[in-house]
Amino acid sequence: MQLLSLVGPAADSLAERLAPRLDGRVATVERLPNREGGTDTDGVDGAFGLADDGAWVGAGDDRSLTDLLDALAPEYDYALLSGFPEARAPTVVVGDQSTKVRGEVVETVETVDDIDADGLETLTRHADDGEPYITLDTLVEQVKQSPRAERAGAIATFTGRVRAKDGDDDSRTTHLAFEKYAGVAEDRMATISEELTTREGVEEVVMHHRTGVIEDGEDIVFVVVLAGHRTESFRAVEDGINRLKDEVPIFKKETTVDEEFWVHDRQ
Amino acid sequence: MEWKLFADLAELAGDRHVSVDADAGDTVGDALDELLSAHPPLADRVLDDDGDLRDHINVLRNGENVFADDGLETVLDGGDELALFPPVSGG
Repeated sequence: MQLLSLVGPAADSLAERLAPRLDGRVATVERLPNREGGTDTDGVDGAFGLADDGAWVGAGDDRSLTDLLDALAPEYDYALLSGFPEARAPTVVVGDQSTKVRGEVVETVETVDDIDADGLETLTRHADDGEPYITLDTLVEQVKQSPRAERAGAIATFTGRVRAKDGDDDSRTTHLAFEKYAGVAEDRMATISEELTTREGVEEVVMHHRTGVIEDGEDIVFVVVLAGHRTESFRAVEDGINRLKDEVPIFKKETTVDEEFWVHDRQ
Repeated sequence: MEWKLFADLAELAGDRHVSVDADAGDTVGDALDELLSAHPPLADRVLDDDGDLRDHINVLRNGENVFADDGLETVLDGGDELALFPPVSGG
């Protein structure tokens, strides 16, 4: 799923104009004014309405933007966010935006009404600027769609995440920053996947490594294996993450409460 | 010819992309010498006391490790992409 963040007073109406121009399934996420509770009924934390044709509505409590994006990622090709300056995504500013924007500002427009068809086309293309938003579920759903899935009775997964502490005395890690050799990193991962897939009983191997700043507790890397049986799925997922760590040109800088260092300098 | 640099090597050179005076027909070693003579802190980082490239430093030409083949003697073609980086540390 690709993200495009729209901020400023007219962000919602820009989202409405951009959505039909994106190819694929599009979700929009608007920032609501503060509400009292997520549902209208005492004791109900999530309320859903579902029709026979699959139409649905929902309301609930206690969901962060990250929670919501994680849930949308396996199902949608694009998410248009309006009113979330804290989003880490390419961002279009509409009109006056006084608060600080966390993502990279790719375009600033004065008013939505003045944008012609070419302008809208340019804005929609920025939705493909950022890193895809990929979760473990995205990859699991992907391998389940494999034409080889009917031969597979096992899915094994590995998730690497930011470890805050390696021992009682270890100073706390606040975040890691990853950079990759774009192009070559993807080629190496594709080679690893292809080679593992030639093994007997291994049907699909997919992997994804996030880049940029990743905070304590957040996910970094996923390896997912679809296989005939559990034994070959476990072997392939272990070899997949080990080879990724050894062979793929990705570099990490660690920031703890005390210091900042390149991890390869300490290994 | 342009070098792509990563991690602390990019920090030492002050840039992720550095153009050097080397062309088709020159070797990877020639392009490396040009890079390192223009950036002494980078030279100190990647060369040992004998002036040889440290074992853990990677040199790629068009995504392939040059030491799998002719090493620094590899002859450059026009439009080659060169990369220099420390040990990888993904995951």
